[in-house]
Amino acid sequence: MSDEDLAKDLGLVSALAIGVGTMIGAGIFVLPGQAAAAAGPAVALSFVVGGVISLFTALSASELGTAMPKAGGSYYYVNHALGPLFGSIAGWGNWMGLAFASAFYTLGFGDYLASTVPLPALALGPVGLSSLQIGALLAGSAFIAVNYIGAKETGGIQIAIVAILVAILTVFSALGALQADLSTLRPFFPDDTGGVAAVLPATGLVFVSFLGFAKITTVAEELKNPGRNLPIAVVGSVVIVTTMYAIIMVVLMGVINWRQLGPDFTDTPVLDVADIAFGSVGLAGAGIGLLTFAGLLATASSANASILASSRINFAMGRDKLVSPKLNAIHPSFATPYRSIAVTGGLILLFIVIGDVKTLAKAGSVLHLIVYGLLNIALIVMRQADVPEYQPDFTVPLYPIVPIVGAVTSFGLIAFMKPIEIAVSLVFVVGGMLWYFLYARKEVEKQGILSEYILDRSEEMPEPAVSAAGAVAPDGGKYRVFVPLANPEHEKDLITLASAVAKQRGGTVVAAHIVQVPDQTALETARDRVDEFDAESADLLARAERDAETFGVDVETHTILSHRGFEEIFDAARTHDADLTVMGWGPDSHGSPGRVESAMDEVTSEVPCDFLVLRNRGFDPRHILVPTAGGPESDLSAEVVSLLQQEYDSEVTLLYVADEGEEATGTDFLERWADEHDLGDADLRVETGDVETAIETAARDCSLVVLGATERGLLQRLVSGSVVMDVAEDVDCSVILAEKSQTRSLLERLLG
Amino acid sequence: MSDLFDRVVLPVADPDDAAATCEALANYEVGTVVAVHVIEKAGGAPDKASVEQREEYAEKVFDVVRNSLADRVTVETEIVFGTDVADAIFRAADEHEATAIVITPRRGSRWVKLLTGDVAHSLVSETDRPLVVLPDVESFEESDESEVAGGSGSE
Repeated sequence: MSDEDLAKDLGLVSALAIGVGTMIGAGIFVLPGQAAAAAGPAVALSFVVGGVISLFTALSASELGTAMPKAGGSYYYVNHALGPLFGSIAGWGNWMGLAFASAFYTLGFGDYLASTVPLPALALGPVGLSSLQIGALLAGSAFIAVNYIGAKETGGIQIAIVAILVAILTVFSALGALQADLSTLRPFFPDDTGGVAAVLPATGLVFVSFLGFAKITTVAEELKNPGRNLPIAVVGSVVIVTTMYAIIMVVLMGVINWRQLGPDFTDTPVLDVADIAFGSVGLAGAGIGLLTFAGLLATASSANASILASSRINFAMGRDKLVSPKLNAIHPSFATPYRSIAVTGGLILLFIVIGDVKTLAKAGSVLHLIVYGLLNIALIVMRQADVPEYQPDFTVPLYPIVPIVGAVTSFGLIAFMKPIEIAVSLVFVVGGMLWYFLYARKEVEKQGILSEYILDRSEEMPEPAVSAAGAVAPDGGKYRVFVPLANPEHEKDLITLASAVAKQRGGTVVAAHIVQVPDQTALETARDRVDEFDAESADLLARAERDAETFGVDVETHTILSHRGFEEIFDAARTHDADLTVMGWGPDSHGSPGRVESAMDEVTSEVPCDFLVLRNRGFDPRHILVPTAGGPESDLSAEVVSLLQQEYDSEVTLLYVADEGEEATGTDFLERWADEHDLGDADLRVETGDVETAIETAARDCSLVVLGATERGLLQRLVSGSVVMDVAEDVDCSVILAEKSQTRSLLERLLG
Repeated sequence: MSDLFDRVVLPVADPDDAAATCEALANYEVGTVVAVHVIEKAGGAPDKASVEQREEYAEKVFDVVRNSLADRVTVETEIVFGTDVADAIFRAADEHEATAIVITPRRGSRWVKLLTGDVAHSLVSETDRPLVVLPDVESFEESDESEVAGGSGSE
């Protein structure tokens, strides 16, 4: 066997066993009493409805899973498609949803444990612990310990557990069916539960029984032949358990009237039915024992699978930097993600202490339903964005109906939960959003397909969508240097300057080719023919990428189609969250400047980030001249020069043009200025006379001039042509013009 | 004896283990080192940790080996998968036609060994080629207890 085969060792049966083993447990062993009380015999229908809702999402999850067989499953797809804000919601939702569900399964286990061994109840100050909770805490600790140490579990055991469960339940159903009486099932929709209207709220209650099919996708990377096995296992396990649930519910309520199954009458409805069913063949004791054993096995395997799945989600979140990678450290001896398991384990134990069965089940369900809804939307985004890497082996039938119905039913079912259960879950949704904005946004670098799609089409998309996409985009806490490219001749020099700055700042270069499309051509048409429209685009960006990579800096590339040339740069710098824009300026750069002066003023009066404008005559940073008279703009030039000096070991000359007789003051000023700006080793030069002439003379000895704008509005003057930048035009070497941004906070950007 | 160290397979389980083994190897002339990290598979059940996560971890362990040895010997690395760690190491040794498998005794309590399986023991009892156990230099220096430092008699 090749290593690849060994790495992927989950076959179809194993995958089905994971799905079925995780799901069976809740619905029939923990909830039947509550479920019966909620809707009477019609609760069988609630299970069918739950199964159908799951089926739509299962189909969507299968497509996403075959396209992206990555650890993390649902979370990964949502984060990849919708970006890290929704990724944060889905990640936290999925993680906490699993913790709630695990607590719920574990309480179910405690219930069965308490029915076999006498456990004490405890009162610890204000917290009273029932014997059921004591059992659950013991069991929960054991499950967590098993996962922490990573006790070796083999495929055989997993399959055997599920086979035993299915066998016991089949015998149970068959014997029960013989004792069932159709009249016990009538009325099917009892009036005291609310009749037909009770079916959907009861679905909300029992939906926790279906959380499991998506767990197969969290281990998709380990599946053999995922293209075939993943969809069969995911969809198959939903069909299998839905069928079993419906049959067993009918049997339960055919044997004992639903009123006597409820929590007011009995704590162990399944065992009561087993008593009668197996009693008919004289094996009542054995039947109760068998079903107790099955109950323990089922809840344990559900809890175990959920704990394992949550550590996969933590890992995937850590890889996307949504949580600290420290959470995902591997234990040197056990080779388990022990911290993640310990944290999840702590939460599970906490939930066992403070929660009751019903609330835990429903909070777990709501969080999963949110994730499922987002997952369906993620599928639609992946299909619409039509990214070339997206090549699912399995595609959902009847697109877009399946994912739309999947999203609507998933979100819709949440409406049938109680406000308190929705509120508990919303805490985590809002928490996930806050988490993103307060912590993760500066860590995360990966952008979603959706925002890339919107930002690359910023002109066609509605303005609020573009600005929202820009406002929530991750910045990775990194310094981002945006480089709009138009003329291939200057590509190398602009990228070199940008990369040198980015390298010193540990940042990223964002290269964008802004393709100006004539007004007569619709952007959509242009996009379809983008290759012929500008054949240089791909080549230009590929070269930009290569040039930036020689500096070892991260690089991102975009093609932006726009009817506007120059004005687009400001918008693009804003939406790509640039800290610095490096652009070229010359007769052939970025089309004609603004035709309407006032519109231009509006754009340029709000400079979105620092700007370096290169009047390029060959980029050569060996000897840099910095004319300065102080002020904030010269701070930026000093900063850039200092970075260039670190990168190229440049010789730097500072120039101050003083009035006649004030040379000494000029020298003093330059010395102070040089010290303040880390340019202490620069040559100082003080001249008198005409400023322009002085600069031009000094520039003859240099290879590059860096000029700060002396007053706000350099860019305005530059493009409107009202003030000719004589210096920039008259010297022989390249000139960098620097303009500082007006900083705007995230809040301002969100509101602005 | 240089033949023995011509092409050695170095099983490395975690960064500390890798550092200790590399340090122990410092006094010997070695041809090529093949660092092998085994990812234990459950063989049909979900693994203890995500495979991608384990692969990232393996790279971290390999970095320790490269940093320590790459300037004087040729270092190759390989991730192998298997349900049995010792078997996977033997398989890797076969594939790489290793002249020897080199390990240092891993520190750790009996409890940990009981829980994780004593790989060293399986290696000793089942090996089909020379197995060299180098003394763990660090722990040897730390304590005066004379630990069993077998197999270091070459030079």
